Amino acid sequence: MSGGLISKTKAEPNLTPLLDIVFQLITFFMLVINFAGDNYDQRINLPDAGSARPVEDDSRIAEDRLVLNVDSEGRLLRKDRAMGIDEAADEIRHEAALVKLGLQSTGVKFDPASDTLPTTIILRADKETSFGAVLGIIKACQAQGFRKFALKAMIRG
Amino acid sequence: MRHKRGGIEMEGPDVPVAPMLDMAFQLLTFFVLTYRAAPVEGQFIMNLLPPQPATAMAAAATEPSATNELPASLRTLPVFLRADDQGRLAQVTISESDVTNDPKGLAEVLDYHLQDPDVPFDQTLIKVDPELRYSELMSIIDGFTDAFIRAKKEPKLSFDELRPGDGG
Repeated sequence: MSGGLISKTKAEPNLTPLLDIVFQLITFFMLVINFAGDNYDQRINLPDAGSARPVEDDSRIAEDRLVLNVDSEGRLLRKDRAMGIDEAADEIRHEAALVKLGLQSTGVKFDPASDTLPTTIILRADKETSFGAVLGIIKACQAQGFRKFALKAMIRG
Repeated sequence: MRHKRGGIEMEGPDVPVAPMLDMAFQLLTFFVLTYRAAPVEGQFIMNLLPPQPATAMAAAATEPSATNELPASLRTLPVFLRADDQGRLAQVTISESDVTNDPKGLAEVLDYHLQDPDVPFDQTLIKVDPELRYSELMSIIDGFTDAFIRAKKEPKLSFDELRPGDGG
């Protein structure tokens, strides 16, 4: 580049490789960020289990599931509220009604006495809670036709 | 900006890269600050049927199923878990005999029951004290799942509430 009579050389750093790296980093963080983590309540301390299976990242499974967080007091955490067992049973009944409505709209007939709802209950219970409290939630789910359960645990290294 | 193409020096437009880089760095900062490493969660998948009435279970015990020669009651390994006042695991009873609480001892007993070809157990019903802590139950489920895998069998676990008088 020249300016007037005096020839000056202006240093122009090549920003393209820097931009490439930055865009690669942005792409990485965009892919790994999890905006749908609302179901995974951070207040729950899951128990450890070495033989727990890793969660399959399958969109079909993701649609047919209901995540239930149970705190250390045995209360169901839904919609930023802690529910006792009676309120929890009402909430589960409501969720089951929605699933059955969805089945009806697709033409599937559901017999509550014999049929099983296709939804998997993802049970995230705190390690300090009692089995009795967890069983109460499980029984409330079974009463509505849910049979498939996935008990969550942290995979030990 | 000058480019050489086919021996001819061409003058091109100067694209300001700095604003784009500013924006890119802002985006990068946002993603770095909001990034939270997902915890490594696993799961035990189970089909849990509601408890059957005692009469139905007695009938099932006497009638062999269509697919197996032995009735379900003979293929089911009965396990009873009792808790102390603090909710910790106090006693493990497997097939009417008390088992030591440590994982190694439990694994040996489970291997004996599940790997012996003369023993028909292929599923487990765990009756659990309602006061038992969930973490203690999960450690037992963990041990059972490991034992089923070692015995090259599909883990079939179910559990129910331990009632007074169960398991002797």
